[in-house]
Amino acid sequence: MTLHIVSKSPYTSSALKECLGAFASGDALLLIEDGTYVLRHPALETLQSAEIYCLEADAAARGQQQLAATMDRVEMINDARWVQLCTEHQPIVSWFR
Amino acid sequence: MPRRAGHFTIWPPMKFSLAVYSAPHSAQSASSALRFAKTVLQQGHEIYRVFFYCDGVQNGNATAAPPQDEIDLTAEWQVLGQQHQLDLVICIAAAQRRGVLNQREAERLERPAANLADGFELAGLGQLTDAVANSDRLITFGS
Repeated sequence: MTLHIVSKSPYTSSALKECLGAFASGDALLLIEDGTYVLRHPALETLQSAEIYCLEADAAARGQQQLAATMDRVEMINDARWVQLCTEHQPIVSWFR
Repeated sequence: MPRRAGHFTIWPPMKFSLAVYSAPHSAQSASSALRFAKTVLQQGHEIYRVFFYCDGVQNGNATAAPPQDEIDLTAEWQVLGQQHQLDLVICIAAAQRRGVLNQREAERLERPAANLADGFELAGLGQLTDAVANSDRLITFGS
């Protein structure tokens, strides 16, 4: 199953929208860099059953850690878990436009 | 053989390749790529190749001088590359148009200086195709 990595804000880029258009059941979503602003976006609700991960350091760098703590559906991860997720999924698709 | 990584064993180890599209000064993804590469190696996996493409070729620009309180990604890649014998490949076509040249290209194109950092090499896009074919995973670090 695909790991989708979104690294751009949904407010400045179509990365999230395009990612969701290609999202299949069983896929996982990882938010990194400005992609952590997706935590604030209503479109996240459309992924009811998907695994959602977020790079904790990138969220904290943007003042999102309190918001992230309230979201049970999102697993906050570190770099080591990121690499592990990449071993568990194939392919890895990066969305950054 | 399984590889030891700290206190736990990874099985099976995988071959990763990274594609880096962003210059050190232009987006966070250039530093994300370096962090990711370090973590991959810490976990006992192999990095088959790091391919620097588009503005990512600036990671191999030896004449860039970032402020002292910022991470010098070129220097960090050089150290990591030397420690782990990494194949750090810069796309030659992307590099030419951005003025990242080795001695041979500088002479051939009649430019006044060569600035490709030690530890990096110039090669064609075929090296990215080869990396895709020979790696278990390709991770793209976008612009």
